[in-house]
Amino acid sequence: MDLYAVAQVIWWLLLGVLLMGLAVMVGMDMGVGAILRYVARSDLERRVALNIIGPHWDGNQVWFILGGGAIFAAFPLIYATAFSGFYVVMLLLLWTMIMRPLGFEYRSQIAQPAWREAWDWVLLVSGAVPMIVFGAAFGNLFRGVPFHFAWNLTSFYTGSFLGLLNPFAIVTGVLSLSLAVMMGALTVMNGAEGAMFQRARGLAQAAAGTGLALFAIGGFWVHAMPGYRLTGGPGEGVPQTPLQQAVTTAPGAWLANFGAHPILWLVPLAGFAGMIGAWLAARAGRSHLGWWLGALAWIGVIGTAGAALFPFMLPSSTDPSMSLTVWNSSSSETTLLWMAGFAAVFMPLILWYTGWAFWVMRGKVSAEKIARGDEHAY
Amino acid sequence: MRTFLHFILFMVVAAVVIVLAAILGNVGAWYFAWLVGTTMIVLISAASAALLDAQEEQALGGSGVFDSHGQT
Amino acid sequence: MINGTVVDLSRIQFAATALYHFLFVPLTLGLSFLLAAMETVYVTTGRSIYKDMAQFWGKLLMINFALGVATGLTMEFQFGTNWSFYSSFVGDIFGAPLAIEGLMAFFMESTFIGLMVFGWERLSKGQHLAVTWLVALGSNLSALWILVANGFMQDPVGAAFDPVTMRMQLTSFPKLIFSPDVQSKFVHTSIAGYVTAAIFVTGVSAFYMLRRRHMALAKRSFRMAALFGVLATMGVITLGDALGFVAASVQPTKLAAMEGLWKAEAAPMPFNLIAFPDQAKHENRFEVQLPDLLSLLVTHSLTGRVRGIDALEGQAERKIENGIPAVQALEALSRDPKDAAALAQFDAHRSDLGYGFLVQRYAPDLSKVTPAQVSEAARDSIPPVAAVFWSFRLMVAFGLLMLAFFGLAALYTLRNSVQEQTWLLKAALWMIPVPFLADEAGWLVAELGRQPWTVFGVLPTWMSASTHSVTYMAFSLIGFIALYSIFIVIEMYLMVRAIRVGPSEHGDPGVHPAQPRPVLVGRPVPAAAHGTRLED
Repeated sequence: MDLYAVAQVIWWLLLGVLLMGLAVMVGMDMGVGAILRYVARSDLERRVALNIIGPHWDGNQVWFILGGGAIFAAFPLIYATAFSGFYVVMLLLLWTMIMRPLGFEYRSQIAQPAWREAWDWVLLVSGAVPMIVFGAAFGNLFRGVPFHFAWNLTSFYTGSFLGLLNPFAIVTGVLSLSLAVMMGALTVMNGAEGAMFQRARGLAQAAAGTGLALFAIGGFWVHAMPGYRLTGGPGEGVPQTPLQQAVTTAPGAWLANFGAHPILWLVPLAGFAGMIGAWLAARAGRSHLGWWLGALAWIGVIGTAGAALFPFMLPSSTDPSMSLTVWNSSSSETTLLWMAGFAAVFMPLILWYTGWAFWVMRGKVSAEKIARGDEHAY
Repeated sequence: MRTFLHFILFMVVAAVVIVLAAILGNVGAWYFAWLVGTTMIVLISAASAALLDAQEEQALGGSGVFDSHGQT
Repeated sequence: MINGTVVDLSRIQFAATALYHFLFVPLTLGLSFLLAAMETVYVTTGRSIYKDMAQFWGKLLMINFALGVATGLTMEFQFGTNWSFYSSFVGDIFGAPLAIEGLMAFFMESTFIGLMVFGWERLSKGQHLAVTWLVALGSNLSALWILVANGFMQDPVGAAFDPVTMRMQLTSFPKLIFSPDVQSKFVHTSIAGYVTAAIFVTGVSAFYMLRRRHMALAKRSFRMAALFGVLATMGVITLGDALGFVAASVQPTKLAAMEGLWKAEAAPMPFNLIAFPDQAKHENRFEVQLPDLLSLLVTHSLTGRVRGIDALEGQAERKIENGIPAVQALEALSRDPKDAAALAQFDAHRSDLGYGFLVQRYAPDLSKVTPAQVSEAARDSIPPVAAVFWSFRLMVAFGLLMLAFFGLAALYTLRNSVQEQTWLLKAALWMIPVPFLADEAGWLVAELGRQPWTVFGVLPTWMSASTHSVTYMAFSLIGFIALYSIFIVIEMYLMVRAIRVGPSEHGDPGVHPAQPRPVLVGRPVPAAAHGTRLED
């Protein structure tokens, strides 16, 4: 492999890391938002739940923004084709996501119950909808997306909005939501006490169970589904456009990578182990352990999808040979290497100060302190 | 020894800063101006507040009334 | 191929969401550094009133910041959703600064802003001060990378078109980030944010002083903001001049539109103070001119000349003629990347590829292009003159107005008599909308002046949009307008409300000019005083 191909694979991996970071960190905040009305019954309880993630949601959300930026920089053709193709879905994602910062910041500004109730609903919608969209988007990658290119790479999307809500995408969408709910519940357990802790504990177990079932169902479904196979083209690490390759489809082809490299089975195994472990840890009331196992579950689930699809990133159902792969949709070598340099410097820094921020704000959130009117609490 | 090591450390930091400033001042003159300008604006603004405190103390003719070292 | 209505609707949507986003960004850029200044005074002098100040203005910052972040999400995704050809065509260059913005700046800003708000009791004074400084640095570094991306659209340096991958590719990262347009644009915009925040703080402080409320806090805030503002306004004007100087060489059409310059006259050229440009007739209907000033401003000499629109249109026609074979060669290369003849033809004409695209709007089949279509496209190569001309004058007038205001504000606050100048305090209140209008006008000058290009001279706007239906665009535009209207109402309501409620003071020395009395600045605060919040 030459340097360009290595850089392409590195960025494919880094994108995977960012998506995992997004799923774990944003997913937990969205999970808290989605379960807020169930797990916290009084306004005081809800404020406890919001203050648990209060200092961190903003920083966590940057995983989402960085994910978008990294796709743009490293795989511009994917960014351009997917975001414009999924237009209505992207708007749904965007509109729910832009309500979320307001839900956090504005809810506490006014004490009227109706005001707060309204923002609680906003937090529910802006927690649940983006996670379903996130999962459903992955589901649609397996089925292929109806798009094609003109000679100058103008992309045309020929599908409908409802076509994206097919049964398989619903399975992956709900899988994503249950993992987020599980992480949200474990986060509430980390920071809350008493009745809230117990409600969150029950919910974490239920969500982990649902996640397990859906992940297994999804696995069997993919087994029978037509997958894509790259049969010809300019090759790896060669500058190219998506107009120059040959792709065929065959049932079960999505599992070809696992057949060729059996060690990859460890990845879905990690997903199952993470979910089972998180379930057991929640049952035992050990939420911190459960949270880390939940993160492992996300890594396993997203890693499984990535390992199955590789080298495909956005398969085309209109014309499979126009499918976007790691090789034909990435940026140039110069860009990928500069970006890798920046990532090598700043990713460790980000992990370090994010860790520090969580360390500073560690411990339980006290309801008494909030009730007393602690000045900077939500 | 400890002081000496600190001295060396700060000298190295100062040298790095000077080299960086020289490079930045050469290829990125406006960036350099921004760094210097922003620092200056913030510090002048901060100093002007301290000046106001001094002016008010003087206007009230008080020394000893104010506890300028009070901490919260 | 691409529906003109869809392009127009995409432009309206982008301009509306960007202008809206840009209502919140400048205040964050400046207020975060003002907070850092206030907290620096708190930490160095130990006077707790500066902590109250940092917390009060911090609360207003957060109301503003929430909407800035929310609407920023739209911007990050709109390139892909609505400008997909643009994104794939220049994503190799344009995407990198956006990703680096996340890595280097936005992560820092967002992580530490959580600690800034929630960490007052968990961090030491020094740690908290460092956190506040990092928030300010982070927000301005964010602006830096966004403007690196924008600078590429204005002056595409450090990149070249690659006929194999059929897109622009990065050739030199340092050239990209050190381009003169990027540098001066960043400093201009960042400092414009300082001015915006300074006006905001003097205005709100004046409101308190007029009502004789929170006098100590208001006087100190006014003083700090006035000094901050007077220096920043000078900086903005200096950098605006630098930016005009850069535009004269890299974006002559923008400059000509800014100045309403149809025909170049002999040096030294006069400056149109007032004019009513008529784009169809290529003339100004009414002109008030200042002699020699244009040469002086734009070229920094009395002998310098800039080209007028007539000359620029003639040049565009020649470039279009030269660009047509480049596009035709590209189409052949798309069918067969190894076609040597096509590659040679492309290399001979590549410098004007963008102008070939420009005429394709009128002549989709370039083998049948007529001279009328060429001159139509050449006329198109000039931005909307009147809009750019007046946005520019509005921005400059507001800048000079703010400079005058800050001059007086600094004078009176340094004499410590601003609280008695009711007229000045009232003026300060009326000044609050001015910087926001100036910011928006500046955006319009920069981005309208860039038309008809998304990437100047390289990619025309009409090609850049996604291939959506009009229905989709109407749906999204209505959705954005509805949501954003609700948001601004809520934001304004909360902002005004927070200002009316005012700061909660622990260490207010409460010096009132009418009744001077000895006070304890920065006296220790009893623990119970912390629990006095109006809500909750």
